[in-house]
Amino acid sequence: MIMGKEKLIPLAAMVLILIGAGSSAYVYATQTNTDNITINGQQYTIDQIFHTAKLRTFDSLNFSGIALDDLIIKTGVGCLECHEYTIIGDDGYQKTVTWKNMQEGLLTKDSMTVFSDLPKAYRIKNVVKIEVI
Amino acid sequence: MEKMKLFAGIIVLGSLWGFAECIIGPTMGDAGLPSGILMTSVFAIGLMMISRMLFKQRGMQIGMGLVAGVLRFFNPFGGCVVCSAIAIATEGLLFELVWYKMSLDFSDLKTITMKLSMGIVTAYSCYVGGYIITQILTPIVASAGFYVENLILFMPQILARGLLAAIIGGITVPAIFVFKNINISNIKDQIYYPATAAISISCWVAVIANALFLMGS
Repeated sequence: MIMGKEKLIPLAAMVLILIGAGSSAYVYATQTNTDNITINGQQYTIDQIFHTAKLRTFDSLNFSGIALDDLIIKTGVGCLECHEYTIIGDDGYQKTVTWKNMQEGLLTKDSMTVFSDLPKAYRIKNVVKIEVI
Repeated sequence: MEKMKLFAGIIVLGSLWGFAECIIGPTMGDAGLPSGILMTSVFAIGLMMISRMLFKQRGMQIGMGLVAGVLRFFNPFGGCVVCSAIAIATEGLLFELVWYKMSLDFSDLKTITMKLSMGIVTAYSCYVGGYIITQILTPIVASAGFYVENLILFMPQILARGLLAAIIGGITVPAIFVFKNINISNIKDQIYYPATAAISISCWVAVIANALFLMGS
């Protein structure tokens, strides 16, 4: 039996609403606590991070924070250029960058990454994890 | 439909869409509003629906998406310009695909359920599709490398954000039906062409002036 448009389109709309609602519930349920940031398997508070790494400022972008490359060095990662770094936000948003990008990046006090050499899509809010891969 | 009239329609509606993306979108974003969702579900869907209703032509929305995408390219602010431009053009293409089998006289959309459903399907498809395209293109254009696992893990968030776009789209499409009785062929050429040219030029001048102002400040 072929379904007519008058049945198929409302059904498709209902399915999409269910997908959207289901995804919203999943995102809400899996939202991560942002008090700590896990870097290469070790947990740090934002205050610890700011005491550990050196400061960096992007005057043209009007952002300041701690240097991401220095943070990685201080957390004891070896062979820095051999790895890539996946930065993950509390909403699951994640981006993978190279060591070269990390050298142009900072983490603000609000736990947001900013890279002077990458587009805004790489500004990950409420960072909860930096994975070394 | 006269070809020149159609061409002028594509230019003017695409320019209005591009203007909204370059000027209104960032302003809404600065005000803390979900600008991406509103851009797609209100401006993009609204303008493409108007074009479909007034001109009753297939393929027009792809043209509008291209014009809006090119205009976005002239406003080199707000992240990955090439990605945004391609995402806008993609929205035009997705609109065409969703509406491809629908009748041009809107006889399929007699009931409010059908109008609302088409609004939901169109807005959700365009928003989620455009978002995915941006997520794929941005790392490639930025030379940071595209990692499919980054996209897969973020998919629930993209699908969730599409919900609001779908709900707003469900309001936009039925609302656009107020334009249904306007017959573009009845508008005199002496009024139509100067008006479309003036609106299009104003949009382009505003976007380029805004870009120059931002560069200077």
